[in-house]
Amino acid sequence: MAESRAERLLRSVEGAAYWAAVAPAVARLPAPLAYRIACRRGDWDFRYRHEKRAELMRNLRQLLGDGLSQDSARRLARDWFRFASCEAIDVMRLRHRARSLRRLVEIRGREHLDAALAGGRGAILCSAHFGSFDCCFSLLGAIGFPVTTIGRWQHNYTAGLSPAERRFWDLVYARRLRRHRSRPNIEPWPGRLGVAAQAAAILRAGEVITIAIDAPPLDSDRPRAVEVPFLGRRARLLPGAVTLAQVTGAPLLMGFMYREPDYRHQVLEISAPVPVDGDVATAFARCAAAVGAAIRRSPAHWVYWPSGADLAGLGLLRPATEPSRLTERGFLHDGPADNVPARAQR
Amino acid sequence: METIVNEYISREIVQDPALLPLSNETSLLEEGILDSLSLLRLVVFLEERFNITVGEADLLPENFGSVNTICAYLRAREPGRQEAARG
Repeated sequence: MAESRAERLLRSVEGAAYWAAVAPAVARLPAPLAYRIACRRGDWDFRYRHEKRAELMRNLRQLLGDGLSQDSARRLARDWFRFASCEAIDVMRLRHRARSLRRLVEIRGREHLDAALAGGRGAILCSAHFGSFDCCFSLLGAIGFPVTTIGRWQHNYTAGLSPAERRFWDLVYARRLRRHRSRPNIEPWPGRLGVAAQAAAILRAGEVITIAIDAPPLDSDRPRAVEVPFLGRRARLLPGAVTLAQVTGAPLLMGFMYREPDYRHQVLEISAPVPVDGDVATAFARCAAAVGAAIRRSPAHWVYWPSGADLAGLGLLRPATEPSRLTERGFLHDGPADNVPARAQR
Repeated sequence: METIVNEYISREIVQDPALLPLSNETSLLEEGILDSLSLLRLVVFLEERFNITVGEADLLPENFGSVNTICAYLRAREPGRQEAARG
């Protein structure tokens, strides 16, 4: 059932109201109540966004196999919508020095990051579009790690957004994440020659670079993508994080933040350094395997499930319709969910 | 100098054999030979080989557009020239 124009408008208004007014107020409530309200909003989304829910469940079953029952797919889809709503509460709890979010996140493997930085070559922390990954990066900044993220803010390049809408998402979302990071994101667009050198300079200064490595490559980046085993198929991904680690000698670690069954507590797991010696594709396959393992462990965390276009861009699914992937000019219809506002808008 | 730079780019950076042999005038950007990461590898090589430091502000197409422009940039960065420029 295709979404009507009125439904789309209602959804946009609801999303904007949730992020601008409801979530900031709700995030000030005691955590159990705040996250319960967020879950209710997620359930509402799950119930009324038929099209997105159907695509999400279809993609889950296609990629995770027929062993996934209809009930399991439904439960994962419901959790996906709940997680999206809970992420707004996470973002709001980054206020001040993020103390109210820090209380809810247990960090396992922090010693790996400390040890990596002690080596004097900085550290690259790779994650995926997985759970509250953007909050995770900012949280590390809030607890004292000098963090800079390589990544594009989706609201800056989603086609069809007005300047006012871009400004809105910057205010309610990006600004809150940015304030805990050492500097603005390094946004890797084609033709920006200095991106890797800027990242290398940050690593040389002994700081942390964070990056989500599972984004579908831009058309112009496709020649540089490598094919790696991923979720039982072959995915095309950009191995830039590994190349950066090889050139700079910075240790590369993996980090994933999992939401607990109570929805408010989260566990950030940081791995020991991943070996990056040898062939780039082989080394990168280790990183992709870690992402794939995290997704299989807790599928509802992966942001890309409802976007067949993104999954096709990764080479995991055959494009069902006219590709709507990210082009050099921006998203035409439905780009990768780099952040929750974008996820909420779809 | 041109030979050293050309050989490095041909050996380590060019991925499409159809682009070899590489002319010193070939546009490294238009041909898709150089991107952000391969430029970083090239810069690390140049810094070690020619004992210079390449600033982020110098990472411009006019300095890294071809083997010839890279060599022109390197010559301008030679220690004697830099000191002369500083007066």
